[in-house]
Amino acid sequence: MQIATRQVGEITVVDVTGDITLYHSPDLRKTLLDLIKTQKIPYVIVNLTEVKYIDSAGVASLIEGLKASRDTKSRFSLFGLSRVAREVLELTRLLKVFEVYENETQALESKPANP
Amino acid sequence: MAFTEAVGRTAIDQFAYVGQLARLTWRAAVAVVTGPRQGAGLRYRRALHQAMAVGVEAIPIISLITFFVGVILALQSAHELKRFGAMEFVPNAVALSLTRELGPLMTAIIVIGRSGSAFAAEIGTMKVSEEIDALETMALDPVQFLVAPKLVAMLIMMPCLTMWSDFMGIAGGAVFGILGAGFTISSYFRATLDALLKEDIITGLIKAFMFGMVITAVGCQEGLMTGLGSEQVGRSTTTAVVKSIFVVILVDLGFTALFYFTSPN
Amino acid sequence: MTPTPETQTQDRGSAISVRNLRVSYGEREILHGISFDVLPGETLVILGGSGSGKSTLLRTLVGLERPTSGEIWLGGKNMATITPKELDDLRKTIGMSFQGSALFGSMTVGENVSLPLKEHSPLDDSTIEIMVRLKLDQVGLAGYENYMPAQLSGGMKKRAAVARAMSMDPQILFFDEPSAGLDPIIAAGIDELILKLKKAFGMTCVVVTHELASAFLIGDRMILLDRGVIVANGTKDEIQVSQQPRVRQFLDRIPEPELKDELSYLQMLIGDDATARK
Repeated sequence: MQIATRQVGEITVVDVTGDITLYHSPDLRKTLLDLIKTQKIPYVIVNLTEVKYIDSAGVASLIEGLKASRDTKSRFSLFGLSRVAREVLELTRLLKVFEVYENETQALESKPANP
Repeated sequence: MAFTEAVGRTAIDQFAYVGQLARLTWRAAVAVVTGPRQGAGLRYRRALHQAMAVGVEAIPIISLITFFVGVILALQSAHELKRFGAMEFVPNAVALSLTRELGPLMTAIIVIGRSGSAFAAEIGTMKVSEEIDALETMALDPVQFLVAPKLVAMLIMMPCLTMWSDFMGIAGGAVFGILGAGFTISSYFRATLDALLKEDIITGLIKAFMFGMVITAVGCQEGLMTGLGSEQVGRSTTTAVVKSIFVVILVDLGFTALFYFTSPN
Repeated sequence: MTPTPETQTQDRGSAISVRNLRVSYGEREILHGISFDVLPGETLVILGGSGSGKSTLLRTLVGLERPTSGEIWLGGKNMATITPKELDDLRKTIGMSFQGSALFGSMTVGENVSLPLKEHSPLDDSTIEIMVRLKLDQVGLAGYENYMPAQLSGGMKKRAAVARAMSMDPQILFFDEPSAGLDPIIAAGIDELILKLKKAFGMTCVVVTHELASAFLIGDRMILLDRGVIVANGTKDEIQVSQQPRVRQFLDRIPEPELKDELSYLQMLIGDDATARK
């Protein structure tokens, strides 16, 4: 799994490539918490287009990102969910918990759901 | 023929059992040293938990028993010494028999009753309820998970408890010394300190360390050998206590002989 | 013995391949050369009466018993010749739910579920906490993480055990008698849970049971074991309509025929069991 971050204006996009598994999700968690808590980025978007598989440890890391963004009153969203990733989130009843968009443009242009 | 065969077979079984004990202790010791980094904190906590159960919680009963043993020793030795008008040697008799022999032994027997049996019962119950199998299917080594923390706790707590037993026993002896042999508190303890050599205490502590190893090995081995069915847990608990006492006495004999033949005087 | 051709490697595409497996306890052989395959994502039910060797088979599949001969291919490794280190790695990719739940009585439900994660994964404690809540929610035990196993009912213990078996996101889940000892309603709940998990995660499941209703509900394919040999292996529908006498006897719950002739009855009574059976 690889993680890259890029700035789009005030927004940071986290591009994840590969499978998010038990053994890799600590890296994702660290990146997300660093962006949200330390760098205080107002809006973090996770790009999952290149992620085929995500296990429950990966899901838990995303939840930690979401929790951090709630704590710091910033925004956190996902886009580009694969079929498997969508199923995993659906099963854990988290699809409605996260802000999920189809693609990057939608995610960037979207307005905060409940400010 | 049948008799010699039976003797031979029994001897082989006993050697095999000692071999199993040694193997289990070795594996637990290796697990302590080479455990993986992950979960190290958990293992530390388990060892601490065991140390509390084995050591700290045993202090009241050990204090009480060894205190009385001290009084008994003082009474018994006074009975003999009185005839020679040598009552001033009561502290020597009490201190030496306690530190070299009865302190470690009484401690071991109490710890066997409290913890050796508990080890066998705990591991035996886990065996019967498939918890040991569950550990294995989770890629967790039962020896590392269950035996290693107990070994660490025992090896640390047995010498500590023994030192405490020595102290309580001497205190018990002092009660008689003061009430029945004309000592004052300070004169009794001064006489005790004069009588004791460093090596008396050290030989006692070496024994205590060895006893701790034996009690852990027998208790855990009996637990791991528990057969099917919950009534087997009771059986292995009893066996653990009986075998532990026997092996502790054997080890005691061995070390006492060793110290006797190797000491300079 | 089942006349299956011997192969030296795992069949491509099988999650588990078993070839000519023999297992003995001491002198007594329990499994007499068994071969079968489990495909990824399917639920295989191993049926059989008591003493058929089905529990031994399951224990061998998870490496708790060593085969005397034969091969078990799982995750590209042959369990019969595997090194302890490889076995440990393999075991991190499977989960096992035991008949009596086998929860650690000295730990809370949450600690039971988090144990494999804390021991084996590099995850932070806060991530593990969230995962434990996710798993318990999936088995319908949300909010029970601080309960001790002794405080749970039989069905809840089974569910907690399933949550623990799933904690490392295994590829294969093994169940030993998932509904044994539970009342029918709770048992149906466990069956439903297995179906839900399989549908959701596409996990491969191997279930040992003697409950027919449960077997036909959750199984895609079935194996019927009898005295250490496979007497039938087929899809749910094939087994249902099978006309094989042993299968019919098991499915229609016909009791063992009584020993009719006097000689074999006498031999049975005097303990000459081997001759009596012939």
